[in-house]
Amino acid sequence: MSEKPAIEVKDLKVHFATRAGTSVRAVDGIDLVIPNGSFHGIVGESGCGKTTLARTIVGLQKETAGQVVIGGRDRAEWMKSDRKSFSRKVQFVFQDPLGSMSRRQNIYQTLEEPLLIHGFGSAEKRRNRIQELLDLVALSSTVLDRLPRSLSGGQRQRVSIARALALNPSILVCDEPLSALDVSIRAQIVNLFTSLQKRLGLTIVIVAHDLAVVREVCSDVTVMYLGRVAEEGITRPLFREPAHPYSQALLSAVPSANPLIETTRKRIILPGDPPSPSNPPSGCRFHTRCPVAFEKCGAEVPSLREAPHGGKAACHLATSNKRPIVD
Amino acid sequence: MTSKLKQIKDWPWLVLSPVVIFVLIGIFAPWIMQYNPAAQNYDATLQGPSWQHWFGTDYLGRDIFSRIVGGARISLVAMAIVLVAALAIGVTIGSFAGYVGGRVELVLISVIDIALALPSLVIALALIGILGTGYWSMITALTLAWWANYARMSRAVVTAELQQPYIEAARVMGASHIWIFVRHILPHVLGLVVVYASADAGALVLAIATLSFLGLGVAPPTPEWGQMLVDGMSYIEEYPRLVILPGMALTLVVVSFNLLGEAFALQKVPRPVRGGLLRKRRRARAEEEQARQAAERKAASA
Repeated sequence: MSEKPAIEVKDLKVHFATRAGTSVRAVDGIDLVIPNGSFHGIVGESGCGKTTLARTIVGLQKETAGQVVIGGRDRAEWMKSDRKSFSRKVQFVFQDPLGSMSRRQNIYQTLEEPLLIHGFGSAEKRRNRIQELLDLVALSSTVLDRLPRSLSGGQRQRVSIARALALNPSILVCDEPLSALDVSIRAQIVNLFTSLQKRLGLTIVIVAHDLAVVREVCSDVTVMYLGRVAEEGITRPLFREPAHPYSQALLSAVPSANPLIETTRKRIILPGDPPSPSNPPSGCRFHTRCPVAFEKCGAEVPSLREAPHGGKAACHLATSNKRPIVD
Repeated sequence: MTSKLKQIKDWPWLVLSPVVIFVLIGIFAPWIMQYNPAAQNYDATLQGPSWQHWFGTDYLGRDIFSRIVGGARISLVAMAIVLVAALAIGVTIGSFAGYVGGRVELVLISVIDIALALPSLVIALALIGILGTGYWSMITALTLAWWANYARMSRAVVTAELQQPYIEAARVMGASHIWIFVRHILPHVLGLVVVYASADAGALVLAIATLSFLGLGVAPPTPEWGQMLVDGMSYIEEYPRLVILPGMALTLVVVSFNLLGEAFALQKVPRPVRGGLLRKRRRARAEEEQARQAAERKAASA
């Protein structure tokens, strides 16, 4: 059996029309392949389109052009013909767990809802399934009759993960699931994600801006800049020697727990703000802020090419054995 | 003084009781009435209160107590029909507009705004002019005059709720539009609209009485408070109770419905947790803590 990748994104474009008649190109031509069973991180600064990408993958956002293929099946067509079976395949974890649950429903009702929508067995079976889910995310059953707002942030995010898992999806897309949590809780939820992935064999896509977390848990990572993929590859080598100047700047902001590294860590400060996604620069989108840019960068769009770390980088200066160094 | 007032506010039953009495009287009117409210008795016209006639009789010798009780029934039934119909129409149109959005919403909002721009009694009068007078044309006219407010409120609630991320969450779970509407949005709409309707019920009773007073609603022999006011008007100097008694019944009902609406609205305002609820929460938290500690001990000993 030839394994189809869990998620394939083909030249995806998502543009939003603005009142002025222009359009914001939140996602502007992304190709991405996420194999089954991987733990994929999507990183980038605010406004680079990572959340839009995640929402488009699960169908909360319509694509302007391009295609999302889930398990070998076109997502748009799948959702049109059978929304329910699609939602049993792919689930989404929201950034704000409180907002993503009805404030009128207690936790039992919240967890029961997906089971009811999909006609999952009798009341007895549903109760057992809910207990199973609670065990899965390590919550005590005393939360069941509480309302979402009376739970702590960590408990809420556990509930929303449990709800996403209720239908036994094989793909879990998470939109900044950690950013609403404080640091100590964050670690618990991160551990929960890794253990869930091991136990259930999930494919997890996680949008994050906490790079330290991505470095710890993700097997692969995609770095986005202004609606495009800047660099992608296996997490460890990519973090060790990022090939794209933007990734280098981004990763230089991550503090290290190792004092030997931390004391000598140099931050690369990029000049200026990211350009507006409604009027992106020509050529390489990063050339306006890139410390190593040259003439070609403003004229020609760099394609994703082999980088020394084994992944790919969209930089004219990167080759399979050479990478630009920014310092 | 203020603390006493606050205590009264904490007892919704006190506010509720006039409404409950009104509804009970309305339902059991046939058993409460001592006389046929339409029966005339020319041997006993314009009598004062007595054991035979608790509130006396009017110029046709009809028993005023029975007429007020019978009037309560007429008002209650008419009000209930109008409210249910207006709510059904208003919530349906408003929710539809809010949920579908776009051009449909724009057109429906314009219709609602036009309906709201005209005073409801004026609409009712115009419609009665077209439909002719009578009980059912009064009901129809009032319904058509009353739905717009509910439609506008429903639309506002639906629009606000649709923005909430949990609606998206339900979509991701595979919920259909109908599921989302019935399970998530409708409860919010009804929660607001019913509160408003409970306060509106008084205004409606008044409108029914007004139309009857003008001779456009309930036709004569049927007992109705607005009718009784007209009948009593010519005797207001010698026999003021002919006007005062139905007027008081009307006032009481309107005021108590307003209070009821206010009590409902106050229930929605978040209040500090105290008393039983607080104890319950403390207990739940303590139990949770104990369970956690037990689990830890178990883990430590293992």
